[in-house]
This record gives sequence, C-alpha cells and structure tokens, in this order.
Amino acid sequence: MDSWVRFNAQSQAKERVIRAAQYACTLLGYTLKKGGAAAELHKTISQLEAHMSLTRKLLRLGNSVEALEAAKRAIHLSDSVLRLCLTISHLNKAMYFACDNVLWAGKTGLISKLDQQKWTQRSFRYYLFALILNLTRDVYELRLLIESEERYRASRSPPSPSTTLPADSLSSSSSSPAAPATIALPVMSAWLCRRLHLLGMVLYNNPPLLLDLLKNSCDIFIPLDRLGIYPTGSGFVGACGLASSVLSILTIINPWLKLKP
Amino acid sequence: MNDNFPPPPSVFPYFRATQYACALSIYLLRNNSERKDLVAKLISLEATMSAGRKLFRLGNTINSIEAAKRTMRLSDRVLGLCLTAANINRALYFICDNALWARSVGLIRDIDKERWSLNASRCYFLSLVMHLTRDVYVVLQLMAQKVRDKHFRQKMDQHVSENPEVVDVVVPQLDAFLFVLLESLKSHPAVALDTLKNICDLFIPLDRLGIYQSNAGVVGFCGLMSSLIGILTLTHPELRIKP
Repeated sequence: MDSWVRFNAQSQAKERVIRAAQYACTLLGYTLKKGGAAAELHKTISQLEAHMSLTRKLLRLGNSVEALEAAKRAIHLSDSVLRLCLTISHLNKAMYFACDNVLWAGKTGLISKLDQQKWTQRSFRYYLFALILNLTRDVYELRLLIESEERYRASRSPPSPSTTLPADSLSSSSSSPAAPATIALPVMSAWLCRRLHLLGMVLYNNPPLLLDLLKNSCDIFIPLDRLGIYPTGSGFVGACGLASSVLSILTIINPWLKLKP
Repeated sequence: MNDNFPPPPSVFPYFRATQYACALSIYLLRNNSERKDLVAKLISLEATMSAGRKLFRLGNTINSIEAAKRTMRLSDRVLGLCLTAANINRALYFICDNALWARSVGLIRDIDKERWSLNASRCYFLSLVMHLTRDVYVVLQLMAQKVRDKHFRQKMDQHVSENPEVVDVVVPQLDAFLFVLLESLKSHPAVALDTLKNICDLFIPLDRLGIYQSNAGVVGFCGLMSSLIGILTLTHPELRIKP
C-alpha cells in the first residue's frame, strides 16, 4: 500500500485517474443514452464529466512550463529525426496547455466574455499535431528496431536454400502464362507473414514502445472527433480515452514502461 | 517498485493556499463597492478551488488509514497513541468529505448536507487536537532534555544573572520556563512550525462548529498561514516534523 501513497501524492497521477474517470463517464453517458435510461441520470453523468474536466484543467495549470522544459531537453538529442519530432511535439503540447489554461480562466469566470468554442478548437488542433508527431516518432523507432532485428537475423543465419523463391524450380518446368501470377500470391503472403511476425516480435520485446504506440493511437481519435475531421461518436471516444488513461496510469506505476527519451 | 527519480512535486498545497488567499481577499474587499467585479471573480475562483480540492481528496482516506497503521507501530506509546487517533479522525473526516463531494455532484441525493458537514468539522477538529497534544508532548520532552543538559544549565544561569531586573518583575520560575521553552523551540524549528500550523488550522473548525466564532477574515488568514507553512515544509523537508 506504500506504492498507493506515493502514487496518490503525485498530482500527475491523480490527473490521469480523473481523466480515466472522465472518459468512463463519457462512455457511460453514451451507453445510458443508447439504453434509454432516465434523463436525470444522464444529466448527472454529464455534469460529473464537466466537473472532472474543469478540475483537470486546474491540475494542469503548470504543465505548459513543464512541456517547454521538455522541449528544451529534447533539442539536445543526438538522433535528428527524434530531435525534430520530440521538440515540435513538446512545443505543440505547451501551446495546447496554454490554450487549456485560458479555457480554465474563462470557465471559472476570471476572464469574462471568452469565445470558448474558438479556444477549444484551437487547443484540440495543437493536441492533434502533438499526437501526430508522437505517432511519427513511434513509427520511426519501430522501423529502426525492425531493421536492426532483420540485420541481426541475417547475420545469425545465412539465407537457406529453402527460403529462396520456388520460382526457380517452377520456371524450369513447363509453365503457362498464369504461373507467375499464381506463385506471386503465396510468396507475397509469406513475405507479409514474415514481416508481421517480425513486427510482433519487436513490439513484444519492447513494451514501452508498444504501450506508447497504443496510447497515441487511442488518443488520436479524441481530437479527430472533436474537430469533426473523423467523427466517431462519444461512445468510441470515451472508450479510447479510458484505454489511453489506463495505459498512462500503468506507465506511472511502472516507470520502466515509459518510453525514453 | 523501482523508481530512480523522485516523484514530481505535488501542487495540492498551492491550491489550498490560493483558496484561503481568495477567502481572505473576499473578506477584505467585501465593503469595497468599486471592486465588486473582482470580488465576484474571487468568489467564483474560491468555489472552483474548493470543489476541485474535494475531488482531489477522494483517495486520501486510504492514505490516512495507512498512516494510522504505521503510527500504531511506533516505539513511543504516547506518540503512537496521539498520532494514531489523529490519523483515524483524519480518515473519518475524509469519508465525510467524500460523501459531501458525492452530494455536491449529484451522485448521492438523500444525505443531510449540514449534518455531514458538521461531522466532518468535528472529526477534523479532533484530529487537530490530537496533533497539538503530540506537539505539546514533544516540546515537554525537549524541555526536560534541555534542563538535564549541563551545558544548557550554565546558559540558563547566565541568562538569569544577566537580567536580574526582569527576574524580579516576572516570577522567576515563569521566566525560566519561558526561557527553556523558547530555547527548545529555537533548536527544533520543525516542532515550532508544526505547532504554529496546527494552532492556525484550529481556528477553521472552531469557527465552523460555533465554539469560537471569529469571522471569515480570521479563518481565511489562518488557513493561508497554515497553507504557507505546509508549502514551506514541502520545499524544505528538513523542516517537516518526524514521524
């Protein structure tokens, strides 16, 4: 239980738990509406969701500065692609948090006459850019790992005769014009199977990368829906938000699961 | 759990400080007709902080129960008793607070808000009294330790001989007592800060329960002081009382 006490003391951890609860409310609201539940209950759930959203904005008041600090650190990375992706992603996150702070001030009444719709759209745009860059970084790291895994496999065992295309043996025999097409398909599916197997192996051996990839993939549906680019409905958004919150809580509980840098 | 990095800082004490600063400012500006707009904004901000803090406190019941379990195993029995009673009362306070949060968001409808709020204040008051008892016990222990110290006794005799006129006006025992008390507090700033924090905090439930009715300004000021001391002990862990 000592780990619970330490977890609870961190404001970041509490923010993630409240995020999970908020998206659970979204999902619950959707299922209640589909199930035709009472309007009173639905109103309570949506009020609870709004309350959690506002409180999370309060917790995130300092995150803009943290994101800028992270961007400053990311500039010193050695890999140029990583440096670019991470720095711009952190800068976008900093802008997202700044817009979020303005929205909080507007909702609390500190700033009167704020166009909340405009600022919400603005903040989601920055969030979307940050997520796209994070996904780019994930795909780049994945490609690097796959390439190194392939090289390792090639160096370990030289290509055996069995893996060469069976076209050699077939071309010597009497061939009809349809033969190349019929042998290309199983060859391609074998290649695809091998690639997928390689991908699965790499992801299985690198849980931080897998977790980050899943988290960003789940997260990206939220701004896509809210900006109207790819509307999926509140149920799907709630499920995605809940899944990504649970994954990020996992990375807080087990810091070795966090993708570095 | 293997964490090589310290956990990121907690921002919760700053929210409490802001909330009480707002309460104090609202009291000070309440009669100022030019600043009505600002007062409205401060009221709104305070309400947001208060509601948000209730949500953040949802997990603290378990924290207090864990703390009570730890303090039960302390070697010093009096200390263990005081702290365990304080932590149990704090856990009860958090349960009442959680129920009030559920009422305020509409999850539970049929609970008597006033009764639960009074119960929460009572539990908080009892936990503060227990904390103060611990402080008094620790200070008395320190004073006894100081008096037994030969080096300190020389210092005290020096103090008495330097100020004979004070000693004649004030009762000599009281003067000696105060001297020992102040020296003990000076050498252990953590205990002094904790005592001050608990005394400041005490005014909040005293006002709420009607035992010692002060006004919203005093409550706001005391809350702000105790929050600032809390922030100080957070940034300077050596100033935090142990256990």
